[in-house]
Amino acid sequence: MKYCLTITFSLLCLQLFAQVNCHMYEAGSACYKACQEAEKAIRHPQGSKESQQHFDTAIDLCPTFDYAYFEKAVPYLKRGQFVEWKKLIDKAVELKPEQHLGYRGWCRYQFLRDYKGAIEDIERLETVASYDIGQSVNGDYHLIIAKALCYKALGQKEKAVRIIKEQLAQEAYVPMPYDYLHLGVLYLGLNKPENAVASFLKQLEINDYLAETYYYRGLATAAMEDKAKAEAYFQKALAFYEEGKHLRDPYTHHADRIFKADILAQLAGKQQ
Amino acid sequence: MKKRILTFALFVSIFACKNDEKKSETLYLNHVGDTHFVAETDSTGFQPCHPDLAYQYYNFGGSARFKGEKPAIERYFRERYKAEENQQENGYFTVRFLVNCEGKSSWFRTEAMDLEYQPKQFHSAISNQLLQLTKALEGWTVAEYEGQTYDYYQYLTFKIENGQLSEILP
Repeated sequence: MKYCLTITFSLLCLQLFAQVNCHMYEAGSACYKACQEAEKAIRHPQGSKESQQHFDTAIDLCPTFDYAYFEKAVPYLKRGQFVEWKKLIDKAVELKPEQHLGYRGWCRYQFLRDYKGAIEDIERLETVASYDIGQSVNGDYHLIIAKALCYKALGQKEKAVRIIKEQLAQEAYVPMPYDYLHLGVLYLGLNKPENAVASFLKQLEINDYLAETYYYRGLATAAMEDKAKAEAYFQKALAFYEEGKHLRDPYTHHADRIFKADILAQLAGKQQ
Repeated sequence: MKKRILTFALFVSIFACKNDEKKSETLYLNHVGDTHFVAETDSTGFQPCHPDLAYQYYNFGGSARFKGEKPAIERYFRERYKAEENQQENGYFTVRFLVNCEGKSSWFRTEAMDLEYQPKQFHSAISNQLLQLTKALEGWTVAEYEGQTYDYYQYLTFKIENGQLSEILP
């Protein structure tokens, strides 16, 4: 049983490695061999001694092989060893800034709430990339939206709204799962409940599986003095929450994530 | 004869230097973040349920596996943490620990860094306080999968700004 479970979890971890293409290196070259070492590394569970040792060998063979620094860094991040993570990811960024700035910026925000650091990385990526800078590594946010969330956290709500609205207005942009939710919460924070509700309605067009949408709609509705409707939204939020329908991430908590205690507090009539 | 000895010595030193050029091998435990019992600091009343197998908190599908969820953790620390007036420090203080199959925690290990991610030592009024509070925190849920319970590593990271507790992560 233990063996089966270890295999199951190992497979889960294996799926979390980014893929590498060794054919971009000249066959037989030191960096090609380093890449082959990296292929061996990702056959072992992420963060295992064997995996890390293969990445070390890869780095010894080819000290400019950015992929090895990046992947070697990941388990340190996930396990709260941020000093070591930063040393390694900084090396990857130094070698290939366009490839790794977005990831480092996102992780600074997601794991450390390093808002200034995240903004620096994302804005630096915007200056060096002539293309769409892309999404967070977990696929939840466009990096521009992540940047907006950082500005919000630094108290610059109006700027955050502007950034999100500009991104949503991009012709080729497809809204991501929580864009309108966060926009609505921003409007709530700016005492604009009508704008907030409009955003939550747009959110429901995107998806209707978040307790958060109903919770914050309840707050907006309460702010517009319709207490009965607000309570109905809080009840819906509670039902969703108890079914597990809320923002979730295996590693951290999303901005604007709510918990059962928050909903119960509203239903009990306490001020948040 | 002297010439042969010198040649031999040169030959040996060339190979010695060549070996030293390879970066020193890092000694790893089985997994990044693993730790073992340390008699000087760890409670003898704590036992991992599976001495050779511990997972990570995120292997069980959700962060902060705690009774009352993140709000309970926030409330606990914010009610108890006292920022010293004269400790205008900034950085991150992380406490990493093992939670066993009974929901008990031990094997606490710490890491501190400044806002530039450089190692740092906080004043003990901050570091010792946060460590002791973390040690005394009860309510970690047991990790269970298909009827079996497991030990897992968890961490808490405290973002300190001007001595104040500004964020508790994850």
